[in-house]
Amino acid sequence: MRHPNAVARATGALLIIIIFALPVLYVIMISVESPAHFLNSPLVPPTSPAFGNFSQAWTGANLGQELINTVIYSVAAAAVSTALSLLIAFPVARRLVRGSGAIYGMLAIGLFLPLAIIPLFIEARSLGLYNNQIGYIILHVEPGLPLGVVLLTAFISAVPRELDEAAWMDGAGYLRYLIRVVVPLTRPALVISFLYALLNVWNDIIGPVVFLVDPSLFPVTRGIYNFFGSNESQWTLLAAAIVIASLPVVALFAVSQRQLIRAAVTGSVKG
Amino acid sequence: MTARRPGAGLRRRGGPARLLSRGSRVTMWLGLLLGVAVYTAFGLLPAAGNLLVSLTDYSGLAGSTTDFTGLANYTALLTSERPGFVASLIATVIFVSAVTFFQNAFALLIAHRLVREGKLESLLRVLVFLPIVLGVTIVGLIWILIFDPSGGPAASLFGAVGIHSAFFGSSGAALPLVIGVQVWQNTGFSTLVFIGGLKAISPDIYEAASLDGIGRWQRLRRITFPLLAPSVTVNVLLAVVGAFTTYNLIYVLTDGLYNTNTLGMLAFTSAFGTSANLGLGAAVSIVLFAMTLVVAVPLMVWLRRRQRRLFA
Repeated sequence: MRHPNAVARATGALLIIIIFALPVLYVIMISVESPAHFLNSPLVPPTSPAFGNFSQAWTGANLGQELINTVIYSVAAAAVSTALSLLIAFPVARRLVRGSGAIYGMLAIGLFLPLAIIPLFIEARSLGLYNNQIGYIILHVEPGLPLGVVLLTAFISAVPRELDEAAWMDGAGYLRYLIRVVVPLTRPALVISFLYALLNVWNDIIGPVVFLVDPSLFPVTRGIYNFFGSNESQWTLLAAAIVIASLPVVALFAVSQRQLIRAAVTGSVKG
Repeated sequence: MTARRPGAGLRRRGGPARLLSRGSRVTMWLGLLLGVAVYTAFGLLPAAGNLLVSLTDYSGLAGSTTDFTGLANYTALLTSERPGFVASLIATVIFVSAVTFFQNAFALLIAHRLVREGKLESLLRVLVFLPIVLGVTIVGLIWILIFDPSGGPAASLFGAVGIHSAFFGSSGAALPLVIGVQVWQNTGFSTLVFIGGLKAISPDIYEAASLDGIGRWQRLRRITFPLLAPSVTVNVLLAVVGAFTTYNLIYVLTDGLYNTNTLGMLAFTSAFGTSANLGLGAAVSIVLFAMTLVVAVPLMVWLRRRQRRLFA
């Protein structure tokens, strides 16, 4: 039985797949085509995949070094950012200090502040954060704070206050209490702020262009961007580089898509 | 934020923090201050610093002197001293309006299809979100491969119907293509926001409507769209502010050439391009920020008023 609704639904699904999957599939396909095959019939899948593109792209674009740099930058910056978000959010959510509301407002504004790359560049150079790994990490901590503080404040408010009072009267230390009690109870918010902060650092292309000059410090975004500039017309090689560079984030997304997507869906309902 | 405080009586003696030991209170303060210091140093100060830098001729080059030049950077933008500012304004207006419209229209259509719960639906939600995870560099490079004028599938497709173009290297096609990629990149997030909004509409309302014999179109127009107002507010504002301030994708796709030099891109190229002039770049950033506020704030007020009207 053909229901018009079912036809419309199938068409809709198909269109979404064509628009969003086809471009990605095209790149994956040509990444395993030999240059000769690509020149003759680029849109025909190759019978024997040419994995040589991958090893060539790996060494040619120095992807190994760049992926290591990227992992160091993004994991370190996102971890520090999430930890600092918690250290700001807890006293603010519990109103343990005067001006909690003002501190919260000041951070929430950060969601709308323009990214001031020019003053940041001047700051980076005068503080010695320019063109080095530690500096690059420090410069990437701040962008994760506004979202982290806003999310965590909301989550901490849902943790019963009695838990604080009971633990503190028993003489539990502040940090120990945060780690033992608050962290497990706010884990979803911590995971979301960590993941969004991490993606932000991972995918940054302006930061590496402005703050880094030494190629051995480049993360994968700048490395692959440069690789495109120096290997024009080597399409299959470029496609292989894209595939390698995306694999880590795609793998991370595969295990975390539930949290990321749920955060976007539910976050909007409250707004 | 405005949590009620049942234990308000504690406050008289220093609040609940009084229960912490002295050492713990010091730790709490240190943590808070460290976080706020990082935020101030790398978020608030640079944002305000733009204004200061924009009043100088700072080049950032070693050995050059920096002078306070007042509003010289701003007047340079408005006079013929700096050609390209007007073209940049035009590109920005086209880019922002087209991205806002298409991103939301497209996201609404997709959300309408994916709001049902099912295996296929959750898989497709992941798919539309994928470009956000891949990031601007990978997304930009994917589309550069597809629209490569000599070796891409788009060239053969358009070539088959007799259209030949340099695509991202053509002053006619580049801006529409950049708009398309920006929409492709960000539709996933707007879609998820719309799905959240659609899910928040109570099924009882639809049930009542179907009992009243209201048709599909009327249902969409009279129930779904008005009740979706909060998500529309969020999505339109995010798209407008996002489109105004973004330039990383443009940097990857065209480097601001071929009529794609939006204000965000112009700020970047003025500051870090061949004639490094950080002061001028900062002035463009300030103009961009002012323009964003002038558009976004009244838009927000209007959207919120509309939201209240539709809800009442």
